[in-house]
Amino acid sequence: MKNPELFDHRPDPQLGDALRAALEPENHAAFVARVMANYERALEQATVPTWEVLASWFRPGVAVAVALIAGFVFGQAMLTPAPADPASFEAAMAPAEGPGLAALVTADDPPDASVVFTSLVEPR
Amino acid sequence: MGDSGDDPALVAQTLAGDRAAFGVLAERYAAQARRVARAVLGDPDDADDAAQDGFLSALVKLAQYDSRRPFGPWLMRIVANAATDRRRRRNVRRAEPLDPALVGGGPRPDAVAVRNELGERLRAALAELPERRRTAVVLFDVEGYSHAEIAGILGIPEGTVRSEVFHGRRRLRALLEDWKE
Repeated sequence: MKNPELFDHRPDPQLGDALRAALEPENHAAFVARVMANYERALEQATVPTWEVLASWFRPGVAVAVALIAGFVFGQAMLTPAPADPASFEAAMAPAEGPGLAALVTADDPPDASVVFTSLVEPR
Repeated sequence: MGDSGDDPALVAQTLAGDRAAFGVLAERYAAQARRVARAVLGDPDDADDAAQDGFLSALVKLAQYDSRRPFGPWLMRIVANAATDRRRRRNVRRAEPLDPALVGGGPRPDAVAVRNELGERLRAALAELPERRRTAVVLFDVEGYSHAEIAGILGIPEGTVRSEVFHGRRRLRALLEDWKE
């Protein structure tokens, strides 16, 4: 036994042997057998067929997909502006009364500048 | 620490699906893992459960093992962590309160039970030490790991390992000296 007050960087065989005896586990073979059984179980779990894994994901996956699609459609509907009133659209596109721009383009003589500006500026 | 020179090859074979190779590793390190777990937990059944956890955890992490380094410290770190985790999870089933007669000063046992009684006293004395200290002593004096390896296993500086081993030994050696008188 070494002096307990001295620092020693080497293992103490006497203390080590006593501690080993005190901590020595029993049933070594049973323990190793248990480790191997757990190992085999872990291997089996690791080799579960892929389709089983996919099947286990299917229901929650479908539910999530439906929720996402519904959310997307709802969001699109909320963000898209309402279409314009067809009646007012047609009214806006109707040609103005009078000779109109076509008459100005097809006339033999060049139009007066005031007529051109009036046709552009006047509200329809 | 036994013939551990072929550990990296056994690990590689285990990763390739060789069950016998894992069996050799389990056989080789089972006793050591159980002792280390027992040093942490005290209770032998808890220790065995923790050692089991450690082996399975090591199996899961086996691909992360660096084959240039020794396998034993790598595995013992996992086992020690598994034991510490188990102790925390179960809210510590620490060793039974110590009987003062066991730690020292009690009546001298008869010769027949000397060895068992010494073991009992050592376990009781170990249980008195802080967890890190008793684990360091067991890793150093029982399992033969170096201070640097123990530092890696316990995740503490090497100087701290030296200090823990020194103080742990002092207590245990005093007990052994007392026992011999």
